[in-house]
Amino acid sequence: MKLSFELNGVAQYLEADPGERLLSLLRRIGMKSVKEGCDTGDCGACTILIDGRAVRSCLMVAPQVQGKRVTTLEGLGTVDDPHPLQRAFLEAGAVQCGFCTPGMVVIAYELLSRNDDPTPDEVREAIAGNLCRCTGYVKIVDAVLLAARWKREGRWR
Amino acid sequence: MDGGRIHRFHVARDVEEALSLLSAYGGKGALLAGGVDLLRGPLARVEGLIDITRMGLSSVAEARGGVTVGATSTLTQILESPAARRYVRGILVEVMRAVAVPPLRNMATLGGALVSAHPWADLPTALVALGAEARWRGEKEGKAPVEDLYRGEFRKTFRTAVLIEVSLPPWDGAFAYEKVGRTRYDIALVNACCGLGIEDGTIRWARVAVGARPDRGERLPEIEAALVGREPGEKLWTEIQELVEARVEVGDDRRAGRAWRRKTAGVLVRRALIRAARGAAA
Ligand SMILES: Cc1cc2nc3c(=O)[nH]c(=O)nc-3n(C[C@H](O)[C@H](O)[C@H](O)COP(=O)(O)OP(=O)(O)OC[C@H]3O[C@@H](n4cnc5c(N)ncnc54)[C@H](O)[C@@H]3O)c2cc1C
Ligand code: FES
Ligand code: FES
Repeated sequence: MKLSFELNGVAQYLEADPGERLLSLLRRIGMKSVKEGCDTGDCGACTILIDGRAVRSCLMVAPQVQGKRVTTLEGLGTVDDPHPLQRAFLEAGAVQCGFCTPGMVVIAYELLSRNDDPTPDEVREAIAGNLCRCTGYVKIVDAVLLAARWKREGRWR
Repeated sequence: MDGGRIHRFHVARDVEEALSLLSAYGGKGALLAGGVDLLRGPLARVEGLIDITRMGLSSVAEARGGVTVGATSTLTQILESPAARRYVRGILVEVMRAVAVPPLRNMATLGGALVSAHPWADLPTALVALGAEARWRGEKEGKAPVEDLYRGEFRKTFRTAVLIEVSLPPWDGAFAYEKVGRTRYDIALVNACCGLGIEDGTIRWARVAVGARPDRGERLPEIEAALVGREPGEKLWTEIQELVEARVEVGDDRRAGRAWRRKTAGVLVRRALIRAARGAAA
């Protein structure tokens, strides 16, 4: 079936199977930041934004995004021009193997878009469904708090 | 788990269209709300998905002193709505925040939670305690307290009907929700929702429901009766905790044992009652 939606600010017109997972579709068209960790909604590695809200792309079929605005990590920053959240993750040392990182950055982005002065507990609640098997989470929380401070100081683009 | 046997995806414009598609598929079509539940498992039997999230059933509004929630409202929409925030001192906000984590709450709908009705789920326990009423459309219109639905063949009902909305009545008092899982964000090993109305230092009404026993949330009328007419306080809470331990119907499953559930149910009801009493007195 034909599908049209906005991906990272660019209009998309493409073919998808009615039962194709949104996660698979996004990877198929090159959005490799979207990871498949569990396929059951439990790990958060596949987190993306739809109309600005974080969702699990593994628990969606592609046609559900018809007419919607989809954002993946690729839409937030690039290697040459990283998003302040990505810079904060580097600065805080919040990345080890990196498998969870795209989902973590996206979920943190949603939090900070609605609350740029979160408490450490609010950060922990936001990322609670995103599993990291490497870092122990402490530095991820530090990174999100650092990015929040930068945002309040007007240092986001 | 891609593709499977799904060969059509429909976006229903209204309830009539959803119903006619459902009947055209004759058991091989499925209503899709948040999809959190439906798309988690293998969709062995499903050939057509019927998206019901674009039919205008996603409103949360004050009604008759209580609140009426459209079936396809997401848990986040409920959590953030002024009507839910004002309802019985924010009990809906407390309950929604107990369910899963933000990205799942952005997807999951109240209707999906009511119909999937996992025995360990948070919403069935809370909806039963709060006296929620469901309204649906199938061949005919239907309306019933959620409590009665759960005692009957609701799964059969919703194979050929669309849940439209859930209404919560006003309560002059306060409620509290308690849940324990292995972690703060895990599904419940036991959960409890309790409400109290207090006037002149005496309990006038009480609602007590316990879920994940491991069976689905149910009210405990005997416990409610034991609370009414009494004076809230430490002595009563201890008495009620013991009574819950003695009377609650609990069982074993792979997640927790009967004896632990019995104790924990008593503790959770006690905690919820203490907080409800504080809210009701304020
Ligand atoms: C990782 C994870 C963690 C979870 N944690 C919790 C938790 O902590 N607490 C908790 O209570 N729950 C939890 N859940 C369960 C979750 O809340 C429910 O699965 C969810 O509410 C289902 O809603 P949905 O809109 O996504 O339903 P869907 O998956 O869209 O639908 C579920 C079922 O209901 C039917 N249906 C949906 N809407 C209607 C309607 N309007 N009329 C008729 N039939 C309808 C569908 O056809 C389907 O059979 C968790 C789920 C996951 C995946
Ligand atoms: S892959 Fe989607 S939550 Fe794990
Ligand atoms: S850095 Fe390896 S899973 Fe998080």
